[in-house]
Amino acid sequence: MRRRQANIATDPEAFEAFYRRHVDAITWFLARRVDDPHTVADLVAEVFVAVLDSAHTYRPGLGSEIAWLYGVARNTLSAERRRAFKETKLADRVGGRRPLDSDDVAQLEERIDAESVARRAFQAMAGLPDGDRAMLELVGIDQLTISEAAVALGIRQGAARARLHRARRALRNVPGIAPFVMEGMR
Amino acid sequence: MKFKEHVLMELKAEIVARNKARRLLVKRRLLAGAAVAGIAAAAAVAVPFLNGAGTPAYAVTKNTDGTITLKINEFRDPAQVEKDLAALGLTADVSYVKPGTRCAPDRGPTDAGPSFSKEELSSKDPEVRKRMREAIENSPNGKAFRMGHGEVRINPQYIKPGQTAVMEFTENEDQTSGPEKPRALWQFGGYLVTGPVKPCKIVDDPSWSKMPDPRTNPEAYPPPGS
Repeated sequence: MRRRQANIATDPEAFEAFYRRHVDAITWFLARRVDDPHTVADLVAEVFVAVLDSAHTYRPGLGSEIAWLYGVARNTLSAERRRAFKETKLADRVGGRRPLDSDDVAQLEERIDAESVARRAFQAMAGLPDGDRAMLELVGIDQLTISEAAVALGIRQGAARARLHRARRALRNVPGIAPFVMEGMR
Repeated sequence: MKFKEHVLMELKAEIVARNKARRLLVKRRLLAGAAVAGIAAAAAVAVPFLNGAGTPAYAVTKNTDGTITLKINEFRDPAQVEKDLAALGLTADVSYVKPGTRCAPDRGPTDAGPSFSKEELSSKDPEVRKRMREAIENSPNGKAFRMGHGEVRINPQYIKPGQTAVMEFTENEDQTSGPEKPRALWQFGGYLVTGPVKPCKIVDDPSWSKMPDPRTNPEAYPPPGS
């Protein structure tokens, strides 16, 4: 099992299969959170660089690939936000701006537009405590199951349920967010 | 979308580059004589030390068995550390580098140390890990430097005349730690160089950020103070 995962970080073919399986989900995940096409494209690259860095942390017994990957994506995104804050520079080979052609930009913008409702929901959630908000994001917006979200956040299922419950209760009366608060129950 | 294909190509090239770099890096880490300790990832062969509250910047102690203990609490004044070690008869070269960087590896002739296969490096078998640890400990660099309890123990008995004890510490910008928030505060590489030592030329160290996340991988982190 470990072997199979280790391959993703060292075997280009295995990595390609993994990448093709998940690149759309990750692009959409990022488009829900970032409204600039170039940043989305750069972050897609960064998330998969982080996959190379942390492939050894994946434990198949603990949950689905996508749950683990969303955890990696969340960490990448928050690292990126810290970095943007500090205005430090990327040192990685794969890092840095890549040129997008007009088709790419158009398609990414389309996706970003499609996710605008989700971005508004994020704003409504901004006042929640970090942990509670993270649960509601992953379950209500990213459509993970509770146990997948628990894996993505590295917490126990019981704690995940409690956080989700608190977040939903706090937001149940906020207009426009109700669908995200109540849906995604699986 | 085309960018996805571009990204894929870049990443596949990155994997190939890393596979090459990893072979070199692993060799460099082991050549640095760093012990394996309780760390899960092969990339983290160098030992991160965990430290609690701040005490004096550092302490140099000569032990009754002839070894010298160096305990670093704050990363400042490496020249004074070198002087204090010189007073005990040890020629040392101490560098403190920022996280995500390291000294370029070609600082002078040193022992290449034992080499291990990829299977051995990723093995969790306690027998294999014990064998690797012993191989490192019995290498010339491993005999000269021992790590544990947040200290480096230097054994001058294994340092020949004309050799310099080269020590490189990577500091973590976040110096806070505690039982609820264990994290790697620093990382150490020690090795002996025969003849003149080149100054530390700072280069990027992409492996620094490869430390597993302590929240999702608590097993990769020894308890604070260990």
